[in-house]
Amino acid sequence: MSAISELTSLRRTRAKTAAERQQQRKENGRDNKAGYLFLLPWLVGLVVITIGPMCASLYLSFTDYNLLQPPKWAGLANFREMLHDTRLHQSLKVTFIYVFVGVPLQLALALVIALALDKGMKGLSFYRSIFYLPSMLGGSVAIAVLWRQIFGTDGLINQALRLVGINAHTGWVSDPSYALGTIIILHIWTFGSPMVIFLAGLRQIPTMYYEAAAVDGARRWARFSKITMPLLSPIVFFNLVLQIIGAFQSFTQAFVVSGGTGGPSDSTLFYTLYLYNRGFANLQMGYASAMAWVLLVIIGAFTAINFFASKYWVFYDD
Amino acid sequence: MTSTLATPRTTDRPAGPDPHRIGRRRRRGVGSTVWSVVKHLILIGCSLLMIYPLLWMLVSSFRPTNTIFRTPGLWLHNPTLANYTHGWHALTSPFGQYLINSGIVVLGAILGNVASCSLAAYAFARLRFRGRTLWFAIMLLSIMLPIHVVVVPQYIIFNNLDWVNTFIPLILPKFLATDAFFVFLMVQFIRGIPKDLDEAARIDGCGHWGIFTRVVLPLMVPAIATTVIFTFIWTWGDFFTALIYLTSPDKYTTPVALRSFLDSTSGSDWGAMFAMSIVSLLPVFLVFLFGQRYLIKGISTTGIK
Amino acid sequence: MGMFNRRQFLVGAAAAASASSIGLAACSGGGSSDGSATLSFGWWGNDVRNRETDQAIKAYMKANPKVTIKQQPGEWDSYWDKLSTEVAGKNAPDVIQMDMAYISQYAKNGTLLDLSQYGVDTSKFAPATVDSGKIDGKLVGINAGINSLTILVNPELFEKAGVDLPDDTKWTWDDYLSLSTELQAKGPTGTTGTQCAFPTDNMLQIWLRQNGKDLYTADGLAFTADDLAQYLDIMVRFMNAHAMPTASAINEEVGKSIDQTAFGTGKQGFALYWSNQLEAVNEASGTTMKMLRPPTVAGDATKLNGYYKASMLWSGYAGSKDPEAVGKLINWWVNNTACAKICLDERGTPANTEIVTAIESKLTAAGKAAVAYLDDIKPGLGKTPAAPPAGSSQIGDIMQRHTNDILFGKDKPATAAPKIVSELQAAIKSAQ
Repeated sequence: MSAISELTSLRRTRAKTAAERQQQRKENGRDNKAGYLFLLPWLVGLVVITIGPMCASLYLSFTDYNLLQPPKWAGLANFREMLHDTRLHQSLKVTFIYVFVGVPLQLALALVIALALDKGMKGLSFYRSIFYLPSMLGGSVAIAVLWRQIFGTDGLINQALRLVGINAHTGWVSDPSYALGTIIILHIWTFGSPMVIFLAGLRQIPTMYYEAAAVDGARRWARFSKITMPLLSPIVFFNLVLQIIGAFQSFTQAFVVSGGTGGPSDSTLFYTLYLYNRGFANLQMGYASAMAWVLLVIIGAFTAINFFASKYWVFYDD
Repeated sequence: MTSTLATPRTTDRPAGPDPHRIGRRRRRGVGSTVWSVVKHLILIGCSLLMIYPLLWMLVSSFRPTNTIFRTPGLWLHNPTLANYTHGWHALTSPFGQYLINSGIVVLGAILGNVASCSLAAYAFARLRFRGRTLWFAIMLLSIMLPIHVVVVPQYIIFNNLDWVNTFIPLILPKFLATDAFFVFLMVQFIRGIPKDLDEAARIDGCGHWGIFTRVVLPLMVPAIATTVIFTFIWTWGDFFTALIYLTSPDKYTTPVALRSFLDSTSGSDWGAMFAMSIVSLLPVFLVFLFGQRYLIKGISTTGIK
Repeated sequence: MGMFNRRQFLVGAAAAASASSIGLAACSGGGSSDGSATLSFGWWGNDVRNRETDQAIKAYMKANPKVTIKQQPGEWDSYWDKLSTEVAGKNAPDVIQMDMAYISQYAKNGTLLDLSQYGVDTSKFAPATVDSGKIDGKLVGINAGINSLTILVNPELFEKAGVDLPDDTKWTWDDYLSLSTELQAKGPTGTTGTQCAFPTDNMLQIWLRQNGKDLYTADGLAFTADDLAQYLDIMVRFMNAHAMPTASAINEEVGKSIDQTAFGTGKQGFALYWSNQLEAVNEASGTTMKMLRPPTVAGDATKLNGYYKASMLWSGYAGSKDPEAVGKLINWWVNNTACAKICLDERGTPANTEIVTAIESKLTAAGKAAVAYLDDIKPGLGKTPAAPPAGSSQIGDIMQRHTNDILFGKDKPATAAPKIVSELQAAIKSAQ
């Protein structure tokens, strides 16, 4: 059977008749016992470690809590304050720009590089390691220094510009107009994590599909669009969902590069950075909790949209 | 199909069969050699761009601290190992102690994540049980809340259990699959494994445990390798949790120890910090070099059908 | 930094070796050591301070074998996150290294012990250095070292540019401006006249006090938006006269450690520092910097209206199981020569004048210069200001944000000042 037709037949199993669906629904409780057994460690963790603090933070979002004294009930005051908090609005703006620019660029780059590196060529594992190196640094404080070395007033970029005769006086990392841009570049620079996941996903595509496609004489683009993309789509979906969640919560990079301030002039004031500053630097944990739950609603909405949209482009073999 | 597979392969390449080459055989010639050189040039250029900052850090670690920020560029005049020898002993314990501590935490975290996340992922991906969608949604929700607002309630829990200043708060959650990232990752991978294999195993008399251990786990090697690599790197670099829970210096992990070289109110020892950063990056780099082989190892065709 | 560290380390080790005997002698008179105690001890600092503190703690434990001290070192930026989390979990260290910026916040919420009740002796302290730790009549912080603000100048750079150093007993803000401008113009390429310290509350406080005002009253601001606007105008004059770096270069300086700054790399004429930072600056720059009294409005250093600031303080945690032992340890730390000989002036010149005399010969040249500077400015000292009210620790952040807008040309002093004042008032109000 050719790979293409095999895929179509797999696809066909998704389109169930009403009767089949009915039966499916009956089957939903089929593995109750086994399901909960396999899920047991996670459930214990949920009850013992996760749920409590989550509920606590929800409660705290309705209080005035400075960490040093017991929380005082404040009703909706925190949420009302958020409506008029211009720094909060600025942080939302910064975060949305970051999510909508940084995530697609980083994912696209990670996918392209992963596809390039998936092929058998000389020095492959060397390149893979080199490209992954920046991601290993994580939120190391060294990043802040490195970034200034590149994007500072006397950094690498400006030195290069001076070589070609442009006398740049502004530091990219310290000018409000460009600072966010450098953090987006920092984000893209650490594309190693999604790349590794893409690589793992590519490895999982059974080679027989390609072999079959080769027999069919399928061209490179056809192989990519008919085999690689559909079979990689669950992984693309995973990266998309979690990169978006991660980008909304982005904290470390801005924290490290701006020295925790979100400066210059709030141009890199990420939402969670502002949340952290309210919670820990200003000791307003009640307000920070309220901010956290608003963020949860925002991220939740985006994730829900993602899951909904995934029905149209993500292909599962089950 | 057999004829294609039997084609002798000329170049060295990773262990697994390489499907992408198969169709390309026909278009070989001068053009492709030029293309290959160009491709390598591009990749080498990108590589240099990628690691310039790291090279700078490496070079700086061989410079005396007070010249690090006074000398630009990558040129190394009088390289010195002083930062390494001094940095290793500068803190309360020799730096090796922090590497060992990090090692313990990382090892625990890896075991925990691989075991617990794969179990949960199998349940979510393959089993039909009531409340599945709801639990899955809760799991995703749990990673959407910024950590800074749950850290205080969590601290209170672990403090009441008298586990502060032990590695338990850093390791135990991993055994309870609190890293939803990896659960979801594995769910996506398991869903990519053809279901016919489960069915075949079931017909052979395997229960869920049998399917999980004999079919799913072996086919999930790339996902497990990813989990191991990421858990290693993230746990190795985790500063905040370690900061909050570990109070005595002999229990510090490397990121907390690295910060001890810096204090914005007194002087900072950048040379030692860079040197020890390089030292602490080494294990991570080695793990990646070693671990990536499992990302490359393809699934043999015979395993599927 | 390496050389200095090691030398200081050796001095510390030698002192620790002799500490046991001295420590025992000092403590046997000290009182009733009836019980054993386990204390935790939290501080922030770099590896030098960590090592010296470790030495001193070991010396204390040797002298008091029944006391066990658990160390909790940290660094400034994360220290406060950890401390607030620990207080929330009722698990804070028994002895807390405290800062003036946060002491009101912690004291107001009943987190800190009144150390006057636990035998901490401050009778030998220099005048007015005890008051910094008094809040609402309670002694919640013991001065761990004093310092004062100074304008450091790079004499080498001035010589290269052929510009004369000012007479710091007479110089005014206008002199400061003209010298900075001149240096920036005449110095080697890349030279800037002065660091832009205007966004800091320190510089603001110097200026306010010379004008008969101050930063804070006990629970609010002691200056108006008009005062602030006038002050920010000075910054704009410096900017327009090209007496300091560009706006983005000023921004890059924020959060840099000394050795990365323009001043620390020898490219800047003036910079504002605390007197006890001279050592670090000299180490980082490889230049012997000179300490100047800050310029005055009146052109007369006796009208400086300066003060000795507690560089940091020792506080006790109110939840401590053994407050007596906490008091005893802090008392030892600030009054015992053995301890002082280990730690020297690393946390600032000791407030106990007898201790200063005892250790002065051991200090480095920079340490001696700092002691001399504190002595020099005596004629210009004024009243010790009230501890900053809770919530005021945000002033640095707020000032920085709005001065940035001015530096980048997006705002004017007259409109930025009221914003700073109202944000600051809101921050203080919400923390009350």
